[in-house]
Amino acid sequence: MQLIREIGFLLQKEFTLEWRQKYAISGILLYVLSTVYIVYSSFTKLEPAIWNIQFWVIILFASVSAVVKSFQQESGQRQLYYYSLANPLAVLLSKMLYNTLLLLFLSILAYLALSLVAGNQVQQARPFALALLLGSLGFSITFTFVSAIASKASNSATLMAILSFPLIIPVLMTLIKMTAAAVTTANPAAIDLREDLLTLVAIDLLLLGAALALFPFLWRD
Amino acid sequence: MLKHWWKILGVAILFYVFVAGLLVPLKTGISAVSPQKVAPGESFTLEVTGYNSRYTQAQGQIRAWLKQDEAHALAAGSVTVLDDRRLQLAFAMPEYLPSDKKVQVLTLLIDDPVDGAHVLPSAMFVTQDSIAPGLAGSAWTAHPVEGLHEEWTMSYPFRNILQETIRNAYFHIPMWFAMIFIFIGAVISSVRYLRKFDPQDDLKAAAFTRVGILYGIMGLVTGAIWAKNTWGAYWSGDIKQNMTAIALLIYLAYFVLRNAFEDPDKKARVAAVYNLFSFAALIPLIYVVPRLYDSLHPGSGGNPALGGEDLDNTMRLVFYPAIIGWTLLGLWIAQLLYRADRLRDRLWMNA
Repeated sequence: MQLIREIGFLLQKEFTLEWRQKYAISGILLYVLSTVYIVYSSFTKLEPAIWNIQFWVIILFASVSAVVKSFQQESGQRQLYYYSLANPLAVLLSKMLYNTLLLLFLSILAYLALSLVAGNQVQQARPFALALLLGSLGFSITFTFVSAIASKASNSATLMAILSFPLIIPVLMTLIKMTAAAVTTANPAAIDLREDLLTLVAIDLLLLGAALALFPFLWRD
Repeated sequence: MLKHWWKILGVAILFYVFVAGLLVPLKTGISAVSPQKVAPGESFTLEVTGYNSRYTQAQGQIRAWLKQDEAHALAAGSVTVLDDRRLQLAFAMPEYLPSDKKVQVLTLLIDDPVDGAHVLPSAMFVTQDSIAPGLAGSAWTAHPVEGLHEEWTMSYPFRNILQETIRNAYFHIPMWFAMIFIFIGAVISSVRYLRKFDPQDDLKAAAFTRVGILYGIMGLVTGAIWAKNTWGAYWSGDIKQNMTAIALLIYLAYFVLRNAFEDPDKKARVAAVYNLFSFAALIPLIYVVPRLYDSLHPGSGGNPALGGEDLDNTMRLVFYPAIIGWTLLGLWIAQLLYRADRLRDRLWMNA
């Protein structure tokens, strides 16, 4: 119960902080829009299968840039202060939750922008929406934890990409497979939604479990 | 000497694996037949090319069938031996087949006391214009397949596409088993580091991870050579090839991460955390995602799994020891690397 209350307060803190430093969020929004436009102007006409892959590549790069600051924007001393006030797991979980919401917002924005310039190719909304939700969750869990690891080193931006890209591949492959059918065909029977969902949820839970078990060893300096 | 028993055991097992794996011959097989298509009612001579066969020794005792199913087989009328590798079989295909398929696939089965029974699945295709299983006649049941020579010999199965490359099963596949065991060793060392914060456990984890990467690269290379001979290309973008390449990237990043720290304690702690987290990510990468996609590997995309006829009891005699042998060798290499690292640390401290 205490943990949930702490997560609530910390989440509120993340929102306040983001609102005060508007340059970070507006930078990411601009990043998404410019990548979408680069993709559009280099392809002009996007086939559904390519649309799907390009969409996830945009999300991938935007997500890394959005999450990398999770554990770096605040100084070490201030973080130590948080850890002494609240359960360290609450700090991690609140950041994961905040990043999930942020990435969900980014994905919807990227989807709208890509649909505007390259046409809305999504033929089945339900599997696509589920993929966005579970994708944001999986990206957020992995990237938040990797950002906690990378923030311990000095040149963390490079490290963040090196560490997180190979780790995210299982989630990314499952997402691409799940949405590929949703984009190319209107026939709901073409997607084995249960298997893909189960795989995604299982991978997300596995990574979340590992992150929660390992964070107590990571935050202390 | 006694405390080195496992190193001696590992080397002895690998010696056995190399000798038995490379020297034991393949079973007799059939590498080609011609013609491969006939019409019903046709009398024809089937030219057979054998593999590792000794037909001149078995002259007069060779029997052959074109088999449709367990109950129906057409025996060869006469058998002519040209030389050790070549046979001519005379068949008279009846007007009707005991089958209701338009195109019936027949299996060629040859049996003799010298080479034993050997088969070529899908050796012949018969296209029948009129289908009447009831009119098939007695030719299909007159000479049933019986009295086969199936004595056990120390030899590996003959598979048409694999042929001699089947021996790679003792090098390519055990490499993955050994790699996983070695990575589990790294996981155990990392967990022990996080419990006791003993720097030696960290050095052990790094040594295990290095050997695991080495085995992963060896697995990819042996696989690529095998793929060149069976699938036709070193790299075919098969899902398991791609996932393994990514798994190696994950573990290579482990060393980039280690080098990013000055403080040895911080380095060891963060590296242990990353090692455990990446092992958690490795499980879906190797065991879950490849199942979602088609693969050229056995066991997926409609291909038969490892085991069954591909891994027979003779091969098991070498395959399972090979896993143990490669794992022990890996542990030995890891131990040497760990000791070298520890010495380097000590030299550095005294300097």
